[in-house]
Amino acid sequence: MTGTRTVKHTPRRGVVIMMVDQLPNLGREQEMLAEMGLADIEDLFSDIPSHVRMQGELPLRGPQSEEEIIADANRLLGSNVALGDRVSFLGAGLYRNYIPAAVFAMITRGEFLTAYTPYQPEVSQGMLQAMWEFQTLLSELLGLPIANLSLYDGSSASAEALTCAVRVHNRKATQKNVVYVSQLITPDKFSVMQNYCQGGGIEIRMLKHNGDGTIDLESAKEAAGSCGVYVEQPNPIGILDGGIPLLKEILGPNTALIVGVQPVSLGVVEAPGNYGADMVVGEGQPLGSPITAGGPLYGIFACSKPYLRLMPGRIVGRSIDVDGKVAYCLTLSTREQHIRRHRATSNICTNETLIALMGAMHMALLGPEGLNHLAVRNMTACILAKQKLSEIQTIALPHIGSHHFNEFVVELPGKAKDCLDYLDDNGIVGGFNLNSWYSNRTNWLLVTVTDQTKAEEIELLAAHLALWSSKAVAA
Amino acid sequence: MSNLFDHSGAIGKGYSQPAPLLPAHSIALPENLTRKKVARWPRLSEPEMVRHYTWLSKRNFGIDTGFYPLGSCTMKHNPRINEVIAQLPGIADIHPHQPEHHVQGLLSIFHEMQEMLEICAGMDQVTLQPVAGAQGEFTAVRCIQEYFRSRGETQRTKVLVPDSAHGTNPASAAMAGFEIVEIPSREDGRIDLDAIAAAVDDQTAIMMITNPNTLGLFEPEIAQAAEIVHQAGGQMYYDGANFNAILGITSPGLMGFDAVHYNLHKTFSQPHGGGGPGSGPIGVKEHLAEFLPGPIVKKRPIMAGEEAHAIDDLWYGWYQPANSIGKVQQWHGNAGAVVRSWAFYRRFGNGLRTMSQHAVLNSNYLRHAIFREAKKAGVDDMFCDGAPTTVAKHEFTLSLLPAKEKYGITAMDVAKGLLDKGYMAPTVYFPLVVPECMMIEPTETESKEVLDTFANHFVEVLQVDAETLHAAPISTPVRRVDEVYAARNLCLRHPFEEDEQ
Repeated sequence: MTGTRTVKHTPRRGVVIMMVDQLPNLGREQEMLAEMGLADIEDLFSDIPSHVRMQGELPLRGPQSEEEIIADANRLLGSNVALGDRVSFLGAGLYRNYIPAAVFAMITRGEFLTAYTPYQPEVSQGMLQAMWEFQTLLSELLGLPIANLSLYDGSSASAEALTCAVRVHNRKATQKNVVYVSQLITPDKFSVMQNYCQGGGIEIRMLKHNGDGTIDLESAKEAAGSCGVYVEQPNPIGILDGGIPLLKEILGPNTALIVGVQPVSLGVVEAPGNYGADMVVGEGQPLGSPITAGGPLYGIFACSKPYLRLMPGRIVGRSIDVDGKVAYCLTLSTREQHIRRHRATSNICTNETLIALMGAMHMALLGPEGLNHLAVRNMTACILAKQKLSEIQTIALPHIGSHHFNEFVVELPGKAKDCLDYLDDNGIVGGFNLNSWYSNRTNWLLVTVTDQTKAEEIELLAAHLALWSSKAVAA
Repeated sequence: MSNLFDHSGAIGKGYSQPAPLLPAHSIALPENLTRKKVARWPRLSEPEMVRHYTWLSKRNFGIDTGFYPLGSCTMKHNPRINEVIAQLPGIADIHPHQPEHHVQGLLSIFHEMQEMLEICAGMDQVTLQPVAGAQGEFTAVRCIQEYFRSRGETQRTKVLVPDSAHGTNPASAAMAGFEIVEIPSREDGRIDLDAIAAAVDDQTAIMMITNPNTLGLFEPEIAQAAEIVHQAGGQMYYDGANFNAILGITSPGLMGFDAVHYNLHKTFSQPHGGGGPGSGPIGVKEHLAEFLPGPIVKKRPIMAGEEAHAIDDLWYGWYQPANSIGKVQQWHGNAGAVVRSWAFYRRFGNGLRTMSQHAVLNSNYLRHAIFREAKKAGVDDMFCDGAPTTVAKHEFTLSLLPAKEKYGITAMDVAKGLLDKGYMAPTVYFPLVVPECMMIEPTETESKEVLDTFANHFVEVLQVDAETLHAAPISTPVRRVDEVYAARNLCLRHPFEEDEQ
């Protein structure tokens, strides 16, 4: 497995000089050791038996100065194709909305950046209050009374919601240890769900969809009596499904309705909490966070009251101090691993607080009208893109009659992979090849727009799609 | 007192946005899909937003604020160049679904990190996918579970954890479906070989251990423990929370472990961010590699046509292990944390050993200085070692049980007293095996002066009378917070006035 190591063995040049800016006690070892009555730093490791000692130096490169590191970082990362360098229609779960400069300015303040979990509330009021405000912002956005202060990403949030649904509903469920998930679920997210669910013996069954991409409400009746149902709005192929607000009535009070959302869409689209969803989860990234090659992101998790004491993750409560002053602290910790150990509701400890804070800052700057405007920008760009692409005779929009938020399917006259290669050669990141999710959809391309999409970029995509597809048809 | 929801200024947005591409009325959603009640978000101009979060930040304590000796968390300085690098468009503005030829530079960094972590831990294959230590534990435990299933050893349903283990160990194993068997530690805080030998059988799947253990002590009999578990057919899992103590000195591989997780936010200085993000890659021995979650980066010589996109004479590509457990995060893990940690690693290179030596040097020096100053002040009867030892590793524990018994001063009182002195308090009441425990981890990035001054302040706090200490802290933004009140009067969101009526 290891094969040959090709790590360069650079000489141990100037180790001390290179690291002196990070290790304040370099050169003072003898002084400190002498104070302890020791002669050699090795004496501090006398408890490590020789049979487990590493022999010789670590076969790694030599240390670098800050200037050399930034030069290498610029060379290596600068060689990547950043989406901002291209015309991009790639989304499929992660979306590059504009993030105001004030968010970055505030998030890099060391008091936030270099703190850890607020175990000592008296000196952590800033982050605790910011997270309590985050909980409120999400609660308002999603239409549910309770939100935690983030899980790892959208996939772990949806997976934890499924196990939470089983904890809450299994006793009364007629389909014990069973949950249902929309059959359009992306395979990567489904894989995360399977990993989280298998330990508890939870069976995941699929919820059927109609040919037009909407949930089959007849088949949804089969899910009534299970522990929970997970659907997405918009769904993974971009459709806003008018059937989803009807699901809670079909499922009844003993089956949790879990809705995965794209949070920006909720500036225009109804909040699931307002049509009976019991838990709302999602990838928080479109609010406040860059895509960063897929992480760090932040998972949104909100629920109604019956789920509170069995939910995963940390939560902040408002309290008082001994003088009766308003003060914040972590609460309901008895659900968590550091107290409950193997009986905890989740193993999560470190979460994504700082990224959630970026989300809170973006939400604070947007305000209700700003969010609506952001959603409208996404959605009208999508309408315009659908219009322009629907004018091309050689391609089809299989769900043109549906409502979309910011992405939709284009059916090509040839393989989506070939089309994406062609667009790439012309400086366009053309979208997502849905064949990687759905094995029978070789010709489906998922085209995504955001607030950053310009009308001329849509024209450019349309022109290239027309050119490629007419050639593909001819071939 | 600033409250975000007190801001209900001009109706508009905190930053200006361009007009939409089409008028808003071109959106014609059906009634049941249309939002009716707007989110009651505040309305802040940028100056108000900046002032609010600046005010909040001043009510928060980070490493930048002062000494942060929070045991088990490795709160070392976060070099700022790492933040600059993580904001470069070549990482921040990259989508995980971009093709390999768009991201050769990023993949080469992933590959370099995989290889470096393999070398440091003596493992054969690393995946960077898990995004936190607990998720790393869960992932490794799942891989081992599939390993046993592939061998037909489905009866192996038990995971052994020492009673001093981090809470995440039993929680992660239980989440994967294992039954937990707690192994009592010896009187001196070390693992008990006899207890392990008595606990293992043909149902043993894994033993999870951290070494140095949570008392900050190296387990000298670790190899023997591994042998006992292996002979019973089980696997050894290394919790990498305390890895900062041993880089270049020993390795989990040498100790006999089969799988390990790393905390990039501890050992490799990804900033802790007030609770996250983290990054929890795992490394495994060859027999477990086929079960790892992908994608993993592999390299090969470049082929014709690839020259234009290659960054050197190698091609870096994603790879899925043959019998992968699948995914634990939807994408490629916390790539931003990996890049920051790469920049940190480059600073040290093979000098990582020096880094660990200094972490241990500082820990032992602080332990020495605290006992030294306590003796001088005549308060050395108020605490003792959490477990007897001559040397500690990167952290150490003290028990304040004598202080509690003699003077009614608890570990929490001392912690709160330290807040008044301008420090973050050490970890308290963990590990559970030490009564009135205080766990102190200074890290390698604190100067001798900081350690000496802290020792003095620690001893000063011990000289404060119990009544005064019960009332501490007094100089913090708020005083002792009533956690019972918070739990009994749950207020988990802003109470809007109209809801109260």
